[in-house]
Amino acid sequence: MKYLALLIALVVAADASASAKGAYELYQKDKSKDRDKKIAHELIEGSYYFSAIPYINTYLETNNEIDKELEADIETLVIKTGTMAVLNLEEKRLESFNIPSISLILGTRLFNKDQNLKAYEILSRIPDSHQFSTEASLIKGTIRNLERKNIEALNLYEQCSKKAGNLESSSKGEKLKRYYNYLKETCIIRSARVKIEEKKYEEALVIYEQIDKRSYKWPYILMDQAWANYYLKDYNRALGLTVTYKSPLLESYFFPEAEVLMALSYYNLCLWDDSLKVVDHFYEVYQPKAQALKDILGKNKSSHTYFLDLYYADTKTREDLNPFIRNLITQTRKQVKFNLDLASLKAAKDELLLLKRLKNKNDFTETLEGNLDSTISFISAKINFYIKKEIFTFINEIHKHSFSMFNLKLELLSKKRDDIYNAKALAESTRARGSDVNVNRKTSQYFFDFNGSFWADELGDYSFGLQTACRENKVAKK
Amino acid sequence: MKIIIFSLISLMLSFSALAQEEKKNVIYKYKEYEVIDLGSLEIKGQIMAPGDLTVNERERQSFKRSLLEKNNFDFENRREIENLR
Repeated sequence: MKYLALLIALVVAADASASAKGAYELYQKDKSKDRDKKIAHELIEGSYYFSAIPYINTYLETNNEIDKELEADIETLVIKTGTMAVLNLEEKRLESFNIPSISLILGTRLFNKDQNLKAYEILSRIPDSHQFSTEASLIKGTIRNLERKNIEALNLYEQCSKKAGNLESSSKGEKLKRYYNYLKETCIIRSARVKIEEKKYEEALVIYEQIDKRSYKWPYILMDQAWANYYLKDYNRALGLTVTYKSPLLESYFFPEAEVLMALSYYNLCLWDDSLKVVDHFYEVYQPKAQALKDILGKNKSSHTYFLDLYYADTKTREDLNPFIRNLITQTRKQVKFNLDLASLKAAKDELLLLKRLKNKNDFTETLEGNLDSTISFISAKINFYIKKEIFTFINEIHKHSFSMFNLKLELLSKKRDDIYNAKALAESTRARGSDVNVNRKTSQYFFDFNGSFWADELGDYSFGLQTACRENKVAKK
Repeated sequence: MKIIIFSLISLMLSFSALAQEEKKNVIYKYKEYEVIDLGSLEIKGQIMAPGDLTVNERERQSFKRSLLEKNNFDFENRREIENLR
């Protein structure tokens, strides 16, 4: 087995060396206008994907024609290196090329710049039969969703989940299967979210049931489900769902919004003291940590490597710096973009090692090494920026929800004052904590008692059984 | 004719001189005091205002603060696309 692996490695190395040699010959002898395209092709053939990027970019800067071979090469580069393939080209220039891989990159870039109209138009160029049409449908659906054109959005999300499902079944590689599964589930969740936006909460909850508990996306849908139950006035279920984030298994998933929803649920059950406890806990826990994170950001804002180094640092170093850093890094690691960029960084470093091992060194290989060094620095800075942005978004989230909590606290204090005036507080002090009677359950829902410990198979099915303390509700129940 | 005109003009001048003399001698006199008996005054009309002081009852003003609402998932949806590629 060992010999076989060695033989394969030797064959690959020999092939790579041959292609590098071919590229060098072209570099020396070919003076035609297609030279860069040919060099890029030779390099891609030899698996020097990152080295091929500058040649593809230089060719596209001055040439308008893309033949079948070049289209296939660009597609390979997009799959192997992500959006890096046409990084140096401006949007205006990219617009003139009508091939699916460039349309996807350009459409995504325009969407991220809030140019939705143009993005939709560019993404519509991708044929339905193409593998990139799944992502195109997802982004187009998002654009229609943002425009509140819900019927169109739902159609696009449905197309996306079907296509992704088919590609998942037909793909051979495990990573590719996982990626299409991720896309499929994202589109299913989007449909459920549109239903929530349309106030069709029951329908939304049925759609969410399609997501497996073992899925990567599952922890994120707990929040959505909690909101749906909250609007259905099933506050006990909303509490059960938000408390799930406190289980050790979901320790790294922390949403400040979950705390607000928990406090709101208690508030709607007229349990002012419980709600106040959640509000106070929020200020005690999140605010000092947000400040600490802000300080870390401020001190290292100009560094291009600090946050990437933090990712590579051992757990203890991160924990000592700030307990949230560890959780934030863990959460960031679960993002597709981060993983793709990290894989790109590793692949680019491996490619550089391969180049350095080549026996015949010349000015061409030196140029390749110089280009690769710049590419590696660029990817590192990109990942560093990504982590920094994640921390920044998290701090912003805390600030945003601090405002919600502040309003809620004022409202709670006002309610408590009213109760004191009405001498209601004394009467409520002897209330029972909870009962099965207060649990609403559908046939498809489980219910587990919460006895102070979380069980993996019970996660997501907890419901509180608190009786409402609102006067009018009690009268209605009697 | 000339005699008539002359005599008329002279007559007019003598009258105006007399009037000026009379103006100078006018003396105005006011009452030194006057007593008004309000009790005996009669006012005709209808009483429009209520006899006693009243305040309209209204509910205590309560200020509703805006609590968090989830009307859309724009933030999450956008972030998902940003995190895709």
